Amino acid sequence: MPSLKDIKTQINSVGSTKKITSAMKMVAASKLRRSQEKAEAARPYSSRLEEMLSSLASSAASGEGIIKLLTGTGNDQNYVVVPVSADRGLCGGFNSSINRETFKLVKSLEGNGKKVQLMPIGKKSRDFFNRVMKDQIIESFVDLNVSSTGYESALNISNKLQELYFDGKFDKCILVFNKFKSAISQEVTQQQLIPLDVSNSEKEEEKENSSNAIYDYEPDEETILKDLLPKNVSIQIFKVLLESDAGEQGARMAAMDNATRNAGEMIDSLTLKYNRTRQAFITKELIEIISGAESI
Amino acid sequence: MATISFDLVSPENLVFNDEVGTIIVPGKDGDLGILPGHSKVMSSLRPGRIMVYSEDKNLIKSFFVSGGFAEINPEKCIVLAESVVEVNSLEKTSIEKEIQELENKEGKESEEQLSVAKAKLEAINVNYYDKI
Repeated sequence: MPSLKDIKTQINSVGSTKKITSAMKMVAASKLRRSQEKAEAARPYSSRLEEMLSSLASSAASGEGIIKLLTGTGNDQNYVVVPVSADRGLCGGFNSSINRETFKLVKSLEGNGKKVQLMPIGKKSRDFFNRVMKDQIIESFVDLNVSSTGYESALNISNKLQELYFDGKFDKCILVFNKFKSAISQEVTQQQLIPLDVSNSEKEEEKENSSNAIYDYEPDEETILKDLLPKNVSIQIFKVLLESDAGEQGARMAAMDNATRNAGEMIDSLTLKYNRTRQAFITKELIEIISGAESI
Repeated sequence: MATISFDLVSPENLVFNDEVGTIIVPGKDGDLGILPGHSKVMSSLRPGRIMVYSEDKNLIKSFFVSGGFAEINPEKCIVLAESVVEVNSLEKTSIEKEIQELENKEGKESEEQLSVAKAKLEAINVNYYDKI
């Protein structure tokens, strides 16, 4: 049976853990608000870019050069998968679900005879894939800190991707990231980045086309498209980074909230045990005294 | 006189959103003056100044953009710019320093940055369009 002192120490240590987790929860909550604001601030840009793009997409004939970002290389053999994780842990299943999903995707692509390369973003997925499929990593980006560096970091990634793409190193690029649904739930999502997937906005496209038929283009449609496509890649990455950042904070907040609650429950049950043990000691002493007195 | 609604959007935030009288944007092939009721145009932009005027032709604000796109229709003008700074907040000395540094570097990327920096410097130095 543990002594009273042992239980007391245990209660204290659980208590300080609880303090840490509840502080982390509050930090995550305030960061979440900031990340969410950022993600919302970026939305008008990306949605308008998408609108422009979808109204232009129809004018793109299969072409050379930059247009390939839209039309594809015509091949379907080499893939780059970009898992977007966090740099830090302690956020529940946030990172592991990304890694698991990516792993599954890579395996299924390889099962279909495709060649897959990886470009992990964030320490947690870099470390994971460094362990399991090291030779497939072509590049990794860590310590992005997207909420402070902003668009620049997305630009770096996008430049690197496009460089590889135009060198013919891959045909398709898929992002795997946590989509921010609400403060407590994230959804692992796959998004095809290159070539651009316009099919999901097809309905809008038709609508746009009818109203955009009379637009004048300056200098001309193709030049605009050539400018627009690379920018779209960067913007999509930026959007994903922001969403993932907000998701991370949300996941951490939820995880820490849970941990705080668990610690509270543990303290309650330990206190109960402490009181019982103390009472048992008292009773034992009383019995000893009484039986001692009786025997005299 | 009528007004036209003007949105200036950067990837990080919505920089400007209001009803204005006139806007001048640096189109790829030349500056575009946009008044209410402008015909539908989509244009890409070169690095340069975006000038925003009130209905009575007073300059409200001037921004420097390093490129982007403009979508114009009779009621609305949307500019998607990659980086936006107010011209007033640009510092001449730091840009001159940047230009010097970039001139010593080589490569396509720094060339692009150089042309943006030069356009920045020009944006500070010139004053046409201040009054229209």
